[in-house]
Amino acid sequence: MFYRLSGVHHANYVSDSRIFKVPADRNLTAFIFLLGLAAPFIIPSLYLNSYMLPWLIWTAAALGLNLVTGWAGQLHLGYAAVMAVGAYSAIHAARFGVPWEFALIIGGLTSSVIGSLFAFAALRVKGLYLALTTLAMQFVMDWVLTHSPMISGGSHASLQAPTLALLGQEITSDTGYYYVVFGWCVLVTIFMLNLKRTALGRALVAVREKDFAAAILGVNSFYYKILAFATSSFIAGVSGALLVATFYFLAAPEQFSVSVSIQVLAMVIVGGLGSIIGSYFGVAMILLVPGLVNGLVVAMSNGLGTQVNVETLAHIPNAVYGALIVIILLIEPLGLGKLYGNIRDYLMVWPFDQFKK
Amino acid sequence: MTDLTEKMSSGGETIGALLARNASRHGKDIALREKKRGIWEETTWAEYAEEVLACAAGLEKIGVGPGKAVLILGDNRARLYGGMLAVSLLGAYAMPAYPGATLEELRHFLGEVEIVAAIAEDQEQVDKILELKGAGAEGISHIIYDEARGLGFYEVDGLMSWDHLIEVGQHVLNETPGLREDLFGRAKPGDPAIFMHSSGTTGKPKGIVLSQKNVLAAARNGHAAGVFEENEEILAYLPMAWVGDFAITVAAALLCRFTVNVPERQETVVRDMREIAPTFYLAAPRSWDQMLTTIQVGMENSTPVKKWLYHFFMDRAIAAETRKLNGKSGGLLEPFGRLLGEVMVFGPIKDQFGMSRLRSAFTGGEAIGEDTFVFYRALGIKLRQFYGQTENSAITAMQAPNEVRLHTVGKPAPGVEAKIDESGEILLRAESVFEGYFNKPEATAEALTDGWLHTGDAGYLEKDGQLVVLGRVSEVMHTAGGERYVPNYIENRLKFSPYIKDAAVIGAGLDELTAMVCMDFEAVGHWAEVNGVPYVSYSDLSQRDEVAALLRPAFERVNKVVTEPLRLKRFVCLPKEFDPDDGEITRTRKLRRKVVQERYADVIAALYDGTKEVHVSAQVTYETGEVGKVERSLPVREV
Repeated sequence: MFYRLSGVHHANYVSDSRIFKVPADRNLTAFIFLLGLAAPFIIPSLYLNSYMLPWLIWTAAALGLNLVTGWAGQLHLGYAAVMAVGAYSAIHAARFGVPWEFALIIGGLTSSVIGSLFAFAALRVKGLYLALTTLAMQFVMDWVLTHSPMISGGSHASLQAPTLALLGQEITSDTGYYYVVFGWCVLVTIFMLNLKRTALGRALVAVREKDFAAAILGVNSFYYKILAFATSSFIAGVSGALLVATFYFLAAPEQFSVSVSIQVLAMVIVGGLGSIIGSYFGVAMILLVPGLVNGLVVAMSNGLGTQVNVETLAHIPNAVYGALIVIILLIEPLGLGKLYGNIRDYLMVWPFDQFKK
Repeated sequence: MTDLTEKMSSGGETIGALLARNASRHGKDIALREKKRGIWEETTWAEYAEEVLACAAGLEKIGVGPGKAVLILGDNRARLYGGMLAVSLLGAYAMPAYPGATLEELRHFLGEVEIVAAIAEDQEQVDKILELKGAGAEGISHIIYDEARGLGFYEVDGLMSWDHLIEVGQHVLNETPGLREDLFGRAKPGDPAIFMHSSGTTGKPKGIVLSQKNVLAAARNGHAAGVFEENEEILAYLPMAWVGDFAITVAAALLCRFTVNVPERQETVVRDMREIAPTFYLAAPRSWDQMLTTIQVGMENSTPVKKWLYHFFMDRAIAAETRKLNGKSGGLLEPFGRLLGEVMVFGPIKDQFGMSRLRSAFTGGEAIGEDTFVFYRALGIKLRQFYGQTENSAITAMQAPNEVRLHTVGKPAPGVEAKIDESGEILLRAESVFEGYFNKPEATAEALTDGWLHTGDAGYLEKDGQLVVLGRVSEVMHTAGGERYVPNYIENRLKFSPYIKDAAVIGAGLDELTAMVCMDFEAVGHWAEVNGVPYVSYSDLSQRDEVAALLRPAFERVNKVVTEPLRLKRFVCLPKEFDPDDGEITRTRKLRRKVVQERYADVIAALYDGTKEVHVSAQVTYETGEVGKVERSLPVREV
């Protein structure tokens, strides 16, 4: 209905390989981008700070994991550890007096190096074995963090992040934090959108589908797996650093524990492997829906006037939220991104069921 | 309007002058877009003119000149269009042929004029020309091809690629100062633009030469009548050997600087049309019918909500449009329903078929069914009818946007005079009317008297000047009872049924009328699928009782319209479609009555002698040229 394709033609291959082939998609994206820009003026500061900001930053992180899991097909259960590497190295660099711009890049690069170590595991093992290997590395990281006072400041200590400053401007307001995170998330999204139409993206997909088939096609799976891990780790590192710099303000090992790794993976899977818009949905689902369900349940119990005891009240949202994930994955195993795709397809061929010829 | 017409005529009266004008004044505008491997390659007017000049120079070098002809063989390709222009710059005859033309049909062209070269689309067409050469056309000394695939190892004298020809021509152009201007100005308005052939429903096709003056006058008349504006986007998909294609895609495109979009292949026309979304679209009634069938079949297969919405808006729009065509108001809520329907249903459908930017849409060549016509009007496409023939460069009479009626074809265009003679035949006089049949003085004398063209169509002018066409004069027939009828008129009304593709009405000199019909395989096949009617082939399905029951209402509807003695009494559904390769219809799908009556003499006899079943063996010509047979016994059905 909203998707109009007539008159869209391409006079050269550059135009043919543009990101948005459907004008409606481009317009929708532009609209959402503008909405994102205007968010600080529309959304109350509390919501901006406690919903929008974490949503965007975790989306950036989830997109990084999607790169390695969704695109390159490598299961990764140690993503939080890689984020931690980035966070700690960036903060240490900043504390050392390195400007934040460089500190963030240092964080990203350090993550990249450490994250590439995971790649070497991925070259040897696949599937469940890779999952287990990355999980093991997550535990190793956790152990290193908690047992190296030099890095974390001790087992139960936390590390204070210096005030974020970019381009000589100290950033202290909520709006400021929001724009920094928004900028990063947009950057990662643009990168991922472009990844789809580059040789790198296609090589990653080839490796995902069958790495030895990719090798027959002349795609060096060794090289591309390392590249995928390194790139995704860079995104993880910067996202981790920004998470601490704009949201937590202090870094602690528990913030990057194994449960966080699993949570990010859940975001990617619920959102849809290999889907960019899906990552946004997936993060919203995992991060924001529990709060919503909680509010809803409380409001309902108040509205109905039922005396539900506090313990039950605490568990119902969790149950509902868990059920929701199960239902979504039952309806569409490819996640929320695919659900969106289905709706888009439905409207794309409107009013026909499918368009032949 | 006159200002504009004068301004445009000042551009010149010849193809060369117009091409030069477009190249110098609008050199950077896009003249052509051709889809190759998914990409629309663009050519500006300046580039196009240069390529045409180079082609002309190259053709001249290989001996093309006044009095000689160049065969153009293939589907629509930008280079074939360029080649046609180049040939007309040289004052020679560009002779396009249908890409599916058989050797026999092509051989007929040879006797008329000396063909010295051929421009072919691809290997298939080159092979055909080589075969033609083997069969006595030694005169074709050069064959130029567009698509090189499969031709790499051919060792034939005079076979060259288009690129090579251009290279040669470019060399000549650079060597000879002033050749460009000379080529642009060489041909005079009276020189040939194109060498066409009549469709040949009654005999061998006659050669028709349209001069540059003729075709450009037709284009100018069309513009003056508001058929098209300047800078239209059009899709070049009509057969190049049909006059309508030349009038629009070449003549009007030059005059009004259209952007001509050439689809990748015949099979991709639907998708390519969506990508281009032309602003002007001309199609034969059967193409409109086909698209209607596709839309209806698509909607039947759609989901319940979409289907309900579609019917909700479409049924109301059709009802409103029918009221309007009958001169009543569309209804109070019509504008509102139209607005909402446009958003919900009509807009998306038009978008799917690339019709969302259409400013004018035309149907011509035959009568169009009421259902089809009203459907497109209801969809919001301002479909109009036009009337024209090869002899008068196609653009002759057309409906004005606000004067659309079903039974008329509109008023004659400015610059065209029309009158009806005593016998009821339509006579036309215009600058777009040809000079006479090629080398056929008797036929010419019959067709042209004092500058008036005898169209061969029976018709009349209404009080407000609207022309009504009834059918071919030569086709007016009489039953044994002396009742006068035009079989084509009845056949067209039968064909308005989506399930009937072709029909032949029989009854000349007989007591009553009967018909042989060919069902539409797509529509009936889909109907059979939905209704659980099993079948294995076309011929099997065509003989099923359920199908006979499906077709019967079409006959009943016709019988309600015609007078008592002209009612159709019986019919037979033929086990194969009429096919131009078998000679039953022309390439423009007009019935060759004589051939059909000879070939199905047994069936016709059975229709009248009271037998219940007749055995038929119909001839089928395969694309390889082999001839096979379809044998089947056909039940004779009562209406």
